[in-house]
Amino acid sequence: RLSSGRRRHREPAAEGCPPGDGGSMRCQQVSVLYFARSAELAGLRSETLSVPRQITSLQLWEEIVKVHPRLAVIRDQVVFAVQQEYVLLGDQLLVLQPGDEVAIIPPISGG
Amino acid sequence: MDERKDVPKDFIKLKSEKLSVDEVSELVISPYCGAVSLFIGTTRNNFEGKKVIHLEYEAYTSMAETEIKKICRDVRQKWPSVKHIAVHHRLGVVPITEASVIIAVSSPHRAESLEAVMYCINTLKASVPIWKKEIYEDEYSWKENKECFWANSEK
Repeated sequence: RLSSGRRRHREPAAEGCPPGDGGSMRCQQVSVLYFARSAELAGLRSETLSVPRQITSLQLWEEIVKVHPRLAVIRDQVVFAVQQEYVLLGDQLLVLQPGDEVAIIPPISGG
Repeated sequence: MDERKDVPKDFIKLKSEKLSVDEVSELVISPYCGAVSLFIGTTRNNFEGKKVIHLEYEAYTSMAETEIKKICRDVRQKWPSVKHIAVHHRLGVVPITEASVIIAVSSPHRAESLEAVMYCINTLKASVPIWKKEIYEDEYSWKENKECFWANSEK
């Protein structure tokens, strides 16, 4: 549903999960993993977050930045790995199951 | 050995101990192969005029192993005669001149294993969730592979 505002998506589910709403139809507990620079900025390597079950990858990023505002500086450099599949930050709709693993992936440098 | 018993295998390991070229080569040796090709990635002591003290690697281990398995599967599709593939990557601190990664591939004739090794390292740098931190005298830097498809865009 397009709004006339600046944002293309503002489904009600994207407004976040009320505290204590860890297992409703609307929200799921997911495991968020931080690596490399994102772990330094967030100050931790992993945590459980309650996020809307259906959410675009960009909205998911915004939920995470609400918890860790210092992550905002790397927004243009990261992708997600959701259940170990790469997902760009954008309009892709994610359907998250309880306990799904979401990793913040800064630019890689293996080898 | 009956060739049916020499089933093609992938040997994938991420570990913090020093890597061994002998160990990785021996994993892929096969009596049906006339070629073993190797790539060793070692640690340089300098970057843009700065002295590198050492490297540190970290990985999203479970996904890194899965992505390396996908690379092995792709290698076997592109070069069906490839026999064994070994990819060992070091994690944690890697001192200068020591190996960060060793890739070995065996095949009956040399062209396939040579090409497959190059494909493995190039694709690893583009797709496997491993990160390298270069430690200099006064600072450090998280490196970014130019092969990384989501970096270096619209900066």
